[in-house]
Amino acid sequence: SLSFKMERKTIDLDQGWDYMQTGITKLKRILEGLPEPQFDSEQYMMLYTTIYNMCTQKPPHDYSQQLYDKYREAFEEYIHSTVLPALREKHDEYMLRELVKRWSNHKVMVRWLSRFFYYLDRYFIARRSLPPLNEVGLTCFRDLVYNELHSKVKDAVIALVDKEREGEQIDRALLKNVLDIYVEIGMGQMERYEEDFESFMLLDSASYYSRKASSWIQEDSCPDYMLKSEECLKKERERVAHYLHSSSEPKLVEKVQHELLVVYANQLLEKEHSGCRALLRDDKVDDLSRMYRLYHKIVKGLEPVANIFKQHVTAEGNALVQQAEDTATNHAANTASVQEQVLIRKVIELHDKYMVYVVECFQNHTLFHKALKEAFEIFCNKTVAGSSSAELLATFCDNILKKGGSEKLSDEAIEDTLEKVVKLLAYISDKDLFAEFYRKKLARRLLFDRSANDDHERSILTKLKQQCGGQFTSKMEGMVTDLTLARENQNSFEEYLGNNPAANPGIDLTVTVLTTGFWPSYKSFDINLPAEMVKCVEVFKGFYETKTKHRKLTWIYSLGTCHLNGKFDTKPIELVVSTYQAAVLLLFNTTDKLSYTDILTQLNLSHEDLVRLLHSLSCARYKILLKEPSTKTVSQSDSFEFNSKFTDRMRRIKIPLPPVDERKKVVEDVDKDRRYAIDAAIVRIMKSRKVLGHQQLVSECVEQLSRMFKPDIKAIKKRMEDLITRDYLERDKENPNMFRYLA
Amino acid sequence: MHKLSRSNRDKVQQFVAITGASEKNALQTLKASDWQLEAAFDVFYSQPQPRSNADVRRLEELYNRYKGNTQDTSFFLLLNWNIYSDMILADGVSVLCSDLQVEPQDIVTLVLSWHMNAATACEFSREEFVGGLQALGVDSIKKLQEKLSFMRSELKDEQKFHEIYNFAFGWAKEKGQKSLALDTAIGMWQLLFAEREWPLLNHWCDFLQDRHNKAISKDTWEQLLEFARAVDPSLSNYDAEGAWPYLIDEFVEYLYDKSVVEK
Repeated sequence: SLSFKMERKTIDLDQGWDYMQTGITKLKRILEGLPEPQFDSEQYMMLYTTIYNMCTQKPPHDYSQQLYDKYREAFEEYIHSTVLPALREKHDEYMLRELVKRWSNHKVMVRWLSRFFYYLDRYFIARRSLPPLNEVGLTCFRDLVYNELHSKVKDAVIALVDKEREGEQIDRALLKNVLDIYVEIGMGQMERYEEDFESFMLLDSASYYSRKASSWIQEDSCPDYMLKSEECLKKERERVAHYLHSSSEPKLVEKVQHELLVVYANQLLEKEHSGCRALLRDDKVDDLSRMYRLYHKIVKGLEPVANIFKQHVTAEGNALVQQAEDTATNHAANTASVQEQVLIRKVIELHDKYMVYVVECFQNHTLFHKALKEAFEIFCNKTVAGSSSAELLATFCDNILKKGGSEKLSDEAIEDTLEKVVKLLAYISDKDLFAEFYRKKLARRLLFDRSANDDHERSILTKLKQQCGGQFTSKMEGMVTDLTLARENQNSFEEYLGNNPAANPGIDLTVTVLTTGFWPSYKSFDINLPAEMVKCVEVFKGFYETKTKHRKLTWIYSLGTCHLNGKFDTKPIELVVSTYQAAVLLLFNTTDKLSYTDILTQLNLSHEDLVRLLHSLSCARYKILLKEPSTKTVSQSDSFEFNSKFTDRMRRIKIPLPPVDERKKVVEDVDKDRRYAIDAAIVRIMKSRKVLGHQQLVSECVEQLSRMFKPDIKAIKKRMEDLITRDYLERDKENPNMFRYLA
Repeated sequence: MHKLSRSNRDKVQQFVAITGASEKNALQTLKASDWQLEAAFDVFYSQPQPRSNADVRRLEELYNRYKGNTQDTSFFLLLNWNIYSDMILADGVSVLCSDLQVEPQDIVTLVLSWHMNAATACEFSREEFVGGLQALGVDSIKKLQEKLSFMRSELKDEQKFHEIYNFAFGWAKEKGQKSLALDTAIGMWQLLFAEREWPLLNHWCDFLQDRHNKAISKDTWEQLLEFARAVDPSLSNYDAEGAWPYLIDEFVEYLYDKSVVEK
């Protein structure tokens, strides 16, 4: 033992170092676990002061450099003599444990020695720009121990990792400690960890999962494979949490995902009996949700899934359409139209079903919304038994909204259905065609009092307005308003009659005045009305002129209804007929028997119309007129007589006219409107752009019109040519592919 | 002239015969072009035509001759509105043609009309007649006749053919109509394409009669020439996405349909 003296005697290097050596030896003994008491504060002070003195002595006794070197040599000596031999004789897990111990010891040694030699850190290293003591100490371990062993260590670690993957228990804490060495030895940089361990670990993991995947993909069903994959990913994340460095997580996950899910994506999704298609077919929502979760994180991973989804929905939709088509061709007309209504119902159900998938299984992802939309756009635009989808949808609405329609539903159910129908409209490209059919059917419902519920009528118009804009519904809304006004008008008319008894035509008359622009166009023939009706027209005209002189009334007799009292032999029966039918029947008030030609001349109708009328009165269910000869069809040589013997158990019967096929006219009208719309779009575009290339003009035109319909290129070209002829546009002289607006 | 070599003399003669220029002009132009005939033609055609020798008075007399003698009663009866509208009409035109010794359906009449910028076929107004002959530098039937071969040669020039072709539409159609009647159009096409071969001409005419049967718009007329010029008869370089008029698109479909061309 030494005693502390106040006077500073010059310490000689060897002497001083001998003293230090005792301290170092003591430290080593403590580290080796040998019985050795800890340093007390006095010993510590002595050691520190020795260094201090040796560094602050006057030259040639300032031993800073030598001490700095000896500091390092101390570590080197210890490592060579003790540490490395201890490590070299061990392997695998035992080696790992030894390493952890030795590293821990080393850090302690560095801590203590650097405290003893602290004075060097204060001035010497800064002055000479040398590495600080801490760093020197760690560098020794790195250069001598780490560099020799890191590869072996890495192998041992990876072997344990793979062991754990196979289900065996391993010492996770040990691995954590080992890997901490890689991190710490980097001294602030992750390079050592990444290059000496992580890169190998990633390669090994990849090849591990590659082997697993290649056998699983053969043996397992898609759901099972996905379960395993999900489990593997979960385990790997846990692995990172327990002993890998957190920065390894994304890299490791990416590798595992790649081997399990990317490499075999196609095989997995397309597995014949259990792949994506099969899962959709069998409504396996859980498996599909898992599929979404797994592929969501992979770049472009969801695209094939969305694609299969789209194909599946399209196939289901097409099957429904085909079913309806088949039924229509095999059955009579009545069942065919019922089938068409059933089709719309089924399409709505299909939409509901797969929307749930999009929202729940596929977490509302835009790719799947898009897939659903595109699928519906494909089959929702197919024709069924000659009817376009636009017409089918309009007929479906008509059935819900009219009295005695085929759908018997509660108010709530109706609202819900109307909502869904409007959503389906979004998929139909010929929206203008739907609007026109809808308008025609709405007109019939309104004019013949066949509308079941005013609120529903208004409600669907509101929904249509929201979805398609105000222009879409403005005419229809006008029609509904007209009816309300017509009722008010009727009240005024009745008041007027009350105040002018002389004007009374003697027949109950109800007139509905319509605003021309809102309603579909109706042909009106100049039928020769019976005198009684002529008076009615005059009277109403008189009344109307008292209200306004600026409007012209055009009478559409084809839409009128008449109640006639038929005085038959057995009993009187009230006949509810159209105005035209009434005009025919009233002729028999003055003459018993009339030929076809007589009637034609007297009424001034076309052959087509007259045949239809006479057929309804003489060849259909209720034979009010007797036809001679009594064949099944009306011919121009026939003659007719009032059938006084006619009777029926009812007191009032309706004699319907067969409906005229409106489809042709609707299509014609819509085509005409489209020509104007295309013209307007082209002019609008060219007016603003002045000069534009052909393809761009066409694509902008299509885009502008897409809200209402899908114009075909030929139609656009025809309109362009017409606009050139009308001097709105011209081709550029140099480049015939460019068009110029002519102001 | 006698100072010239034989070959150069020949060149002058050739030049005059083809361009209708004066000998003096020919000499000047050839000298300036170093006696290269092709180059001389280029120079000549790029110049505006001189309005030299045509005496306007003589042209007026010529005009009146074809317009018809207003004192002649038979003429008056036949073309009685002729006095009020100052035009040479069908009868006058056929006299003109026989004087020139050409058939009325000879394409050179189209070229002549083009020079006159005539509004309609078989009619020439005073301005058109006089102005056109002035532009050609002639004031007599004989001189006009001499110009015929030159006018025919103009059809061989790419640029001029294009102009004449486009002009033909307005000229051949009925006054007041915007489109050209199909029969007339087909006739004109056959006439015009006799001057430059287009292998698909007959198919085009068949197609129109088979599938179209309506009048031809100006745009279709003009673009057809472009189509004949630019697109290979095998349709190998036809751009379906291009700005061709729809009738031409339909024609292409027709060719595929009828297996005239392989897709």
